[in-house]
Amino acid sequence: MELFIEQLINGVALGSLYALFGLGFGIVFSTLGILNAAQGTYASWGAIVALNAADQWKLPFAASLLTGVVAAGLIALIVDQVAFQPLRKRGTSMLGALITSIACWIILDSLAGTATGHNSLSFPRGTYPSTMFHLGTIPLPAMQLITIAALLVVTLGLQLLTRHSRLGSAMRAVGWDQTAASIGGVNPRYVVVITAFLAGATSGFAGVLGGITTQNVSFMLGEGLMLKGFAAVVVGGYDDVRGTALAGVALGVLEVLTSQYLSSGLRDGITYSLLLIFLLVRPRGLFGSLNFSRA
Amino acid sequence: MVALISPAPKKTMQRLFDFWSAYQSTVAFAIVNSFLALSTYAVLSAGILSFATVTYAALGGFLGARLVLASGLDSLLALPIAALAGAGLSYLVALVFLRLQSHWMALASLSLILITRVIVINTPWVTGGVVGMSVPMPLSLSFLSLLLALAAFVFWRLSVSWYGIAAQSVREDPAVASSLGISARDIQTIAFVISGAVGGLGGILLAGLLQFISPDTYFVNIAFTMIAGVVLGGSYHWSGAIVGAAVFTALPVVAQAAFPEYQDVANGVVLLAIMIFLPRGLIDPRAIRLRRASR
Repeated sequence: MELFIEQLINGVALGSLYALFGLGFGIVFSTLGILNAAQGTYASWGAIVALNAADQWKLPFAASLLTGVVAAGLIALIVDQVAFQPLRKRGTSMLGALITSIACWIILDSLAGTATGHNSLSFPRGTYPSTMFHLGTIPLPAMQLITIAALLVVTLGLQLLTRHSRLGSAMRAVGWDQTAASIGGVNPRYVVVITAFLAGATSGFAGVLGGITTQNVSFMLGEGLMLKGFAAVVVGGYDDVRGTALAGVALGVLEVLTSQYLSSGLRDGITYSLLLIFLLVRPRGLFGSLNFSRA
Repeated sequence: MVALISPAPKKTMQRLFDFWSAYQSTVAFAIVNSFLALSTYAVLSAGILSFATVTYAALGGFLGARLVLASGLDSLLALPIAALAGAGLSYLVALVFLRLQSHWMALASLSLILITRVIVINTPWVTGGVVGMSVPMPLSLSFLSLLLALAAFVFWRLSVSWYGIAAQSVREDPAVASSLGISARDIQTIAFVISGAVGGLGGILLAGLLQFISPDTYFVNIAFTMIAGVVLGGSYHWSGAIVGAAVFTALPVVAQAAFPEYQDVANGVVLLAIMIFLPRGLIDPRAIRLRRASR
């Protein structure tokens, strides 16, 4: 029983990372209509910058975390303006943006490889909170609690932002139709810039936390998060913040419990089968809205 | 004096030889990539963005290679078997996937690739599992060229056939196509089967060329490079796929010669630039027609 609860908590923490990353991925997909292959590199770069801030500049934990998150947001902003804005101006389909995002993925991934010297780095001890709490006999590392808390805060924040603020309404309007939104008095350029930054920062946040908990800061970090985050977004319903968060956590729990009680070989299989089943049976996801029909 | 001079020409000869052998394998890879790109083009020409080519290629590659290894089958016979297997699989995929809308189709085919990798890892008696398998199937460059010429001929005939014109109408406007009595579903099913056959063939050719295949051989990377190749070459004409695959294969070689440190970055930048400045790709029938008309 204790083992079960311990693994359950591990699963929730892992799933929180997937969900956090997926939130960033989902914002881009639902608001900007882009299947962004470069999203994973934002997480890698967030972690690399945060590691640098903690290790080289000796910043405290919170400050290096913030540096990584802001850096990831800025990279996402640059990618959007360089690679997506020219296509958006011309009004081409999703295909073109997918290709340019692949180009950015290649560029950022290889630069990340150069930045880490093609090694897997890790945050040195003492640069992050490593206190171990105990719930009875069950150990609770501080980083797991921080990860779970981060997901809760970000989900709540994004939910408030997208559903209960003027900016959120503007984002959804732009996601529906840019021209119609600008007739309604929304400046699409401004909304796009903010959305891109937010998406990058959210994914970068997942990257920094994931880099610390998995002891792995390299270009591989983003790739792993990307595939699972993608699954979380689809299963949860990508235009719904709560769905993504819930689905991400569920996937994490499912994965950890599968490898504990069934077989570690099935771990990815279960996630991806679930992903495919959802796409075929309920493409709008757990909570997604029905009326989506953008070509 | 003679002793001092003589090594120099030998070195040059050696370099020339090295250059040719590197160049030769680039040409071979360009040809094999052309098959994968043609497979992606086959569905794209009927208005479907699908990454499932990778799955057909994996089936063709692993099945064909296992048959050659286990039963000593002639490799010439393995090729049509791989193509048939790919076609069969793609028919099944078409049955299930064709009810999805465009966005979901792309996502579902992406998750199919992820599942493919899990299946490949978990069926070691066919695929060699995580370790992979070596493929003793030598392919000569002239044989590959012949095959590509054959494929190009087939695609050319198809493009001017009733099917080709119907596929174009389905791609441009499904509603108009169906009002003309063209069943979008039938046309797209045919497109899937063509894609499967060419993809399966490309898969086994890739296996023969690499001489070693593992779960990582057929993964998301190929899907992205293939779609990038097709769009880069021009997704409105079959020769675009071949040109795109050639450019995309040659690019890293050229980039390595020019910027050895940053060859991947150079790759990405070129891809980005082409997509931004030539969004319809290098081969664009519309531009060619317009140029002819203006004369």
